[in-house]
Amino acid sequence: MNSIVDKAAAFDVRSWIRLEMMPHFLCPGCGHGMALRALLWALAELEADRDRLAVVSGIGCAGRLSAYVDANTFHVTHGRALAYATGLALARPDLTVVTILGDGDCLAIGGNHLIHACRRNLKITCLMLNNEVYGMTGGQVSPTTSAEMYTTTTPQGNAEPAFDACALAAAAGAGFVGREVTHHVPRLKELVKAGLSHPGFAFIEVLSDCTEIFGRKNELGSSAEMVMRQKSELRPSAYRDTVDTPFRPNQLPTGILSRNDRPEYGAAYRAAAAARRAGAAAMASAAGDPK
Amino acid sequence: MNDADLPLRGAPSAAPAAAREPVNVLIVGVGGQGVILVSKALAWLAQAHGFEVKQSEVHGMAKRGGSVFSHVRFGAQVWSPTIPRGEADVLVALEWAEGLRWLPYLKPDTGIFLADTKRIVPPFACLARRPGAPMRYSRETPAQVQEHVAEGYAIDATGMAEELGNERVSNVVLLGALSRALDFPEAQWERAVAEFVPKKTVAVNLEAFRQGREWIERSRLALPQAQAPAQPAASGSNCEVRLEITPGWCKSCDICVKLCPERCLRLNAERIAELAEPDKCTGCRLCEWLCPDFAIRVHLDPATAAAGEGQARP
Repeated sequence: MNSIVDKAAAFDVRSWIRLEMMPHFLCPGCGHGMALRALLWALAELEADRDRLAVVSGIGCAGRLSAYVDANTFHVTHGRALAYATGLALARPDLTVVTILGDGDCLAIGGNHLIHACRRNLKITCLMLNNEVYGMTGGQVSPTTSAEMYTTTTPQGNAEPAFDACALAAAAGAGFVGREVTHHVPRLKELVKAGLSHPGFAFIEVLSDCTEIFGRKNELGSSAEMVMRQKSELRPSAYRDTVDTPFRPNQLPTGILSRNDRPEYGAAYRAAAAARRAGAAAMASAAGDPK
Repeated sequence: MNDADLPLRGAPSAAPAAAREPVNVLIVGVGGQGVILVSKALAWLAQAHGFEVKQSEVHGMAKRGGSVFSHVRFGAQVWSPTIPRGEADVLVALEWAEGLRWLPYLKPDTGIFLADTKRIVPPFACLARRPGAPMRYSRETPAQVQEHVAEGYAIDATGMAEELGNERVSNVVLLGALSRALDFPEAQWERAVAEFVPKKTVAVNLEAFRQGREWIERSRLALPQAQAPAQPAASGSNCEVRLEITPGWCKSCDICVKLCPERCLRLNAERIAELAEPDKCTGCRLCEWLCPDFAIRVHLDPATAAAGEGQARP
């Protein structure tokens, strides 16, 4: 029986990254590498044109990822990736604009940019890689650090409640909101594909692991153990309603969490501008006629 | 609607059933395929015609993916709810091997065997997880089975259902095929389908029903049958799995070693991942996907092309 079709064989991540920059700077076992693979895989399956692909990222471990993508990449100031991406997507509607943000970059430094990007619903795919910590700067507490977790700035455990970024994005009006863990790479790829295909703003939260900083501080075990924990604790939504739900709660549902079909801002803006120009031209010709 | 002009060869007719023995229809399949729905529709229809109907089934414990069967008996008087061995007039199988499992229940001389060629291979029939590895699954082809039954039809109902856009209507395709063997009017069959399928899918199910009915008609004209799709023989055409590991990129994070389902990887003396047991590797690609450093690439080469070089490259 040779009916097994190995579709995954078609994608080689090495054809999408800048080989001269490898190996990348991420720590051993960092989940961001898997998230980057899922993004590139989704782009490859959608047959994205690299010359018309713009990857924008801010500062931080996640922000560094754009440098490894063999496409048009833009490494900008902290938290402002969505602001740059908004300008890019408005000026060049022919581009596929993807932003890669960390959790602090997206929710703290760039929190306002996120909610307004969601509100505008411009066609941008926003990947937020959530590893619950500011890894690059030494492990400070971030808006998504879970309660009671230790970081360098919360030596007694985090007293603040964590942000639910997907609920925030959905409430702010993002057209597409989804969440997935890095362990399920093919599922994450499918989710990113759905996000890239969505006509409006797509917000995707990727639950990633910071093994060297966050994992070590909280004694979460080796990187392999942390990845395994994603599988056991954050089970796919399909399992949430099964009989053993009471024994294994899934606090963070995964998959496509919300989608709406609000008008895409760029198209609406261009249509309005064209209408105004046509109106002005008509006025000018009407004013010029009597002479 | 008069469909009584097309009774199948050896088909049990509902009219004589009213006088004598009950008509026995055995519906089998895998949990989740809709065995119970087919039997319910049939039982409802028979009851609407004034027959006494007894239906018994196993479900619940079988759950999704298990073996499910449902006995439907109808006639003037039905005593036992289960069909004795060798007494079923029609055996409807929604899955190929399940059909073969229940063949002894079919009437040896007049029984009709209606089976989907869909193969649902249970996990424990997979002897090895390599792609193309031999499976402990029935290897009988439809032609071989045909020799052992009075009348047999192997129908690619799942394929037809997929073409209709919903794989789950394959059971109704088979119900359409079954409707040719029992002479109830077509309009009433369609009412029975509409009664039991989810309201949103009535249209696609009715189309599936008609296609199943037409398929039987076409294949009856083409008797003796040669239209059954050939079953791929479960031969051991293994792929050669080759792991391409870039040592300079590996950061010894150990994820591939610990998460490999076959435990066939290890870190070598320099703490670089390597394939320790190439024979065990099934090429599932989990290590490739989970390597954060893009250091692993899995190649599945056809066994003939790469017979000698199926080894890990250091």
